Amino acid sequence: MRLGRFLQDRLIALVIYIVTLALFYIFMKAYAVDLQAFVAILIVYVLAVSSSLCWDYFRKRDFYRKLLTDVEGLDKKYLVSEMIDHAGFYEGEILLDVLKDCNKSMAEQVASYRKSSNDFREYIEMWVHEIKIPVAAIRLICHNNPELDHRLVQQVKLIDDDINNVLFYSRSEHAHKDYRIKEVKLNKVFGNVALGNRQALQLMNAMLETEGLDISVMTDDKWLEFILGQIVSNSMKYHATDRDLHIQVFAVESEDAVELHCRDNGIGIPSSDLSRVFDKTFTGENGRTGAKSTGMGLFIVKKLCDQLGHGIRILSEVNQYTEVILTFPKNDYYKM
Amino acid sequence: MQTIVIVEGERVLREELSVLLQNAGYQVKCITEFQEVAKQLKEAKADLILLDINLPVVNGEVILQDFRKTSDVPVIMLTSRIDEMDEVLSMSFGADDYITKPYNPTILLLRISAVLKRGRKESQVVTYRDLEVSTVKGSLIRGEEEQVLTKNEMIIFHFLLEHTGEIVSRDDLMTALWDNEEYLNDNALSVNISRLRTKLADLGVDDAIETRKKQGYILK
Repeated sequence: MRLGRFLQDRLIALVIYIVTLALFYIFMKAYAVDLQAFVAILIVYVLAVSSSLCWDYFRKRDFYRKLLTDVEGLDKKYLVSEMIDHAGFYEGEILLDVLKDCNKSMAEQVASYRKSSNDFREYIEMWVHEIKIPVAAIRLICHNNPELDHRLVQQVKLIDDDINNVLFYSRSEHAHKDYRIKEVKLNKVFGNVALGNRQALQLMNAMLETEGLDISVMTDDKWLEFILGQIVSNSMKYHATDRDLHIQVFAVESEDAVELHCRDNGIGIPSSDLSRVFDKTFTGENGRTGAKSTGMGLFIVKKLCDQLGHGIRILSEVNQYTEVILTFPKNDYYKM
Repeated sequence: MQTIVIVEGERVLREELSVLLQNAGYQVKCITEFQEVAKQLKEAKADLILLDINLPVVNGEVILQDFRKTSDVPVIMLTSRIDEMDEVLSMSFGADDYITKPYNPTILLLRISAVLKRGRKESQVVTYRDLEVSTVKGSLIRGEEEQVLTKNEMIIFHFLLEHTGEIVSRDDLMTALWDNEEYLNDNALSVNISRLRTKLADLGVDDAIETRKKQGYILK
């Protein structure tokens, strides 16, 4: 709150004060009152007006200054009305009342959206579990009737992968703690991922190499399985057409963390795109030129890693390799 | 013949599972009345039970808990929910294994045979014709002669041995290998099979593994 603006706001009042003074002067002149008496009145009048202005200015300045610094300092600005009890003057009270009403109404709005978003999430999860039953049935039917085209199995696998994307997207978007962190063997999790993608990998004549995976990390096995599944499926999607896909998966243990490296010999990611691969719906150069990309896979992976407390980074060189590195910090806290 | 009881709420899944297990040489009983399942399970005298979690009337966890009070017959839980199984395990209701839908049928069969084998404690010596199969040493033995098999060759031989006289597809062999974290590709499988043949031939068994065109292999 600046003094200049404050006075400017009261311009009409100031004009009235000056006009009043001028009228005083004219009246006194007309009744031939001594000039000295006028000077005395002038001094008292100016003192009264300026002191009342000062009083008004300072109490309002204190209130608004607190309000502004509170707003600035708050992470959630809408909570500002909770920070101030009372203004100490009438207009301030009105403002506070209005702020509190707005806040309450917004809270109600947010709660209703949160509820509908939660309902939707619950519906999606339920739907995912429901849809898995016919998918499981199709798999069994294919297996029991080997005369059926084996490509059906491949297509069902694609459907299942996409269903899992929906499930994990819904989980990554909501801060619900669906995961359970425990000691998990990397070779077991990766084994599941490899088995799940075996046929697709073999059709590409891919080579899969693992090393040092006989190691435990603190994570949620189902979530990690999804993350690794995304990484492997990206490797398959963005393989170089002039050579067979070669995926190396190895773990490196250091004093305070375990790093899991997944390296392929695919088309790589341009360095200009590298910093943005985790952005939602970012498809980049490779998405435009090659396989279909939704830009969701790595976005979900990053979110899940953040929630689990794992680090993730990507190294790449165009037409040479892409290497995804997951970092599992060692934390004895979980082991208790 | 070993008996497997299927407790699965979805009719289609139940029927297809039953076909799958019958084809794999098991005797199958299905539970279709979901009242007092634990009691029915006790009467069924099964060697293994496949138990779905989402069942009408009472859910699978409760049934398992009830069943475990009186029986230690191995149970594999079937579940469609990713989070649900952790629940069960953490409460240690006593499931021997679990598998989430939509399961890969070959993996399901592998898990079943693994759980059944665990129950049998693997005491008897495995033999093929007049060869002794030593899983401990990873070798085939005939009297004084011994051929050491690599891990991959052993997995392949074991799988063929379990299905002696049946056609085993390359796909099934691959699943068995990958399930043991041996990520072979197509060429490597062929190489391993031919090495296995040579080793068997060295022990005097020439015609053990026969190739069936476009179908797979058969151990005679």
